Amino acid sequence: MAGIIVALVIGLPWLGAIVVWLARNKHPRLQHILAVLFSLLTAAASIALFMFASSEPVIQIPFGKAFGALTFVPDGLAVLLTAIAAVIGSLAVLFSVDYMHGEEQLGRYYFLVLFFIGAMIGLVLSGNLLFTFFFWEITALCSYGLISFYNDDPKAVAGGIKALIITQVGGVGLLVGTLIVFANLGSFQIADLLGKAATLPAAALSLIAFSFLIAAAAKSAQFPFHTWLPDAMEAPTPISALIHAATMVNAGIYLLARFYPAFKSVPGWAMSVLLVGLISALIAAVSALIATDLKRALAYSTVSQLGYMVYAIGAGGVFASQFHLLSHAVFKALLFLAAGSVIHSVGTRDMRRMGGLGRQMPFVRNVFIIGALALAGVPILNGFWSKELILEIGLEHSPLWAYGVMLFGAGLTAFYTFRMVWLVFFGKERDRLNVHRAGSAMRVALGVLAAGTFVTWLFFGGLNNLLVTTLPFHELEHESLLELVTTILSAPATWLALLVVGLGAGISWVRARGYRLFGGDWLNPLVESSFGFDSLNRFIVLGTYKAAEQFSRTQTGELNWNILGIISALLVVLVVLWLGA
Amino acid sequence: MTFTPLNIVLFGIIALLGVGFYGLLITRNLIKIVMVLQVLIKSVILALVLAGKLSGNLGLGQSTAATVIVADTIVAVVGLALAVQVRRRLGTLDVPQISSMRG
Repeated sequence: MAGIIVALVIGLPWLGAIVVWLARNKHPRLQHILAVLFSLLTAAASIALFMFASSEPVIQIPFGKAFGALTFVPDGLAVLLTAIAAVIGSLAVLFSVDYMHGEEQLGRYYFLVLFFIGAMIGLVLSGNLLFTFFFWEITALCSYGLISFYNDDPKAVAGGIKALIITQVGGVGLLVGTLIVFANLGSFQIADLLGKAATLPAAALSLIAFSFLIAAAAKSAQFPFHTWLPDAMEAPTPISALIHAATMVNAGIYLLARFYPAFKSVPGWAMSVLLVGLISALIAAVSALIATDLKRALAYSTVSQLGYMVYAIGAGGVFASQFHLLSHAVFKALLFLAAGSVIHSVGTRDMRRMGGLGRQMPFVRNVFIIGALALAGVPILNGFWSKELILEIGLEHSPLWAYGVMLFGAGLTAFYTFRMVWLVFFGKERDRLNVHRAGSAMRVALGVLAAGTFVTWLFFGGLNNLLVTTLPFHELEHESLLELVTTILSAPATWLALLVVGLGAGISWVRARGYRLFGGDWLNPLVESSFGFDSLNRFIVLGTYKAAEQFSRTQTGELNWNILGIISALLVVLVVLWLGA
Repeated sequence: MTFTPLNIVLFGIIALLGVGFYGLLITRNLIKIVMVLQVLIKSVILALVLAGKLSGNLGLGQSTAATVIVADTIVAVVGLALAVQVRRRLGTLDVPQISSMRG
């Protein structure tokens, strides 16, 4: 039974992708209906999967000796991320019905979205590292295709290529780590790596650990690869909500959390993870302070919040990171979709031209404020509990200065969040914009997510129990919802954090005069170049471009040269065989 | 190196293979390409028969060789027919020139 459900959660979206494609672009209504139907079915199956969570593989497909069996293990970590991908995926698809209304080439759009959802679920469920890598690459490809969806816009194409190449750096890291695992253990199974990590040579293990860290940093847009995510905001907004806030960027966090028990003893690894998270959280928060593009500001805040999760893993709080991942996925998807309906309505992403939109769009304003309060970490909402849990663990298990920086980051978060709310929905109208109400499909998706922002933290106890019982290598601690509430409410750190958050929010209200709320001439160029790290990323992208251009010269199209290539390859193989490889 | 029958056949295979590859490397004329391909395939046929003999499956080797002979005759016929068409339409048999004429 569990095997059937696992097959369904991967198979349904992929089947849907093909069906929507086959429905042809001449029938957009049918395509909308089919896409929503298949994504909702996937979401239902993913929720059913919670009942079948186990630490044993439920599907085993033998793939010969070289690859080992393709296994799917629905343990707590995998099931949680599956549910996030499927449920938020279905809401994003539902939102797209209004957002993409009247667009051309819906077949391509829905194909890529559904294909992505299936691949993301495969990525987290796979128990075989090699297939994890395959699914990882499929998600990168879909992300590229969707960022560049408006392929007549040069900015969208450039953003897509940048995202593709930078995440490929991560893909190479993952592949290198995977191959080292295979060379040492003779197996691609994740359970083998987790169980036998202590028997690996120290050098090999640390190489694997740091390759995986590079993979995670590139995929989750963490320092120093954090520049692709803001550029990826050229994608249609439901895509930004689904792929670049709620799911794909979590793959890196997932990777770190999954292999934390194997790598925690590697000298310097946990500290590096902590530092990567800390630096990302801080510089992204500073960048978000002065961003004028609504979606870019949200993208920076995504990088910053992912930084909090990475920091939590570095400090040993695997469960706290996953808890924040759940909260973040819900409230950030809400924020992005609400921003999407604003953008869809007024036709610009520039916050300097918005203002005073709250009167015309009260519903969107209300749900955006709910999301913003959760992002800032205001009590009762899910973001508050998970962020406080991370800060709590940071205070206990990381250096005091690191905790201080993260606390400062929480203040910055509150500041830029309320700045965004103010610029978009309050104040006076700065530009005459033609506003229309959000459609009903949009409202349903937003309403569900807003409700989720209020309630997902109530799943803490069940989620904790699920992860504790199905992750044999992680040695997590049991904790109930009541204990969470009492520890967080009684800890002085919480009140300190709330004070900082309140301070940040207060400053932003006081200074809410114009759009240049903070920063100025010295900060703008710094953020524009991503604190100098954009040059590193540009170097990688341009280097790949140039290498590809040089390499394309070998494709002469002349028969004689091709024959020469074939013969020399044959000779190389012969020599290798002769030398006795 | 002794001249056992095995060695002679092996030498023949390698020589034909070498001539075929060398021909493919340097030829520009379409008809000559078909010819050197034939030489290449002849070495393969010889290798098939030899492999049959060495593995004790002489019948299998020979029947495979016969199949390849039929197949490569078709290759030659189609190749030459194409060459005739190319010559008629483009007025040349020079491969680089034909390539440079592509749309």
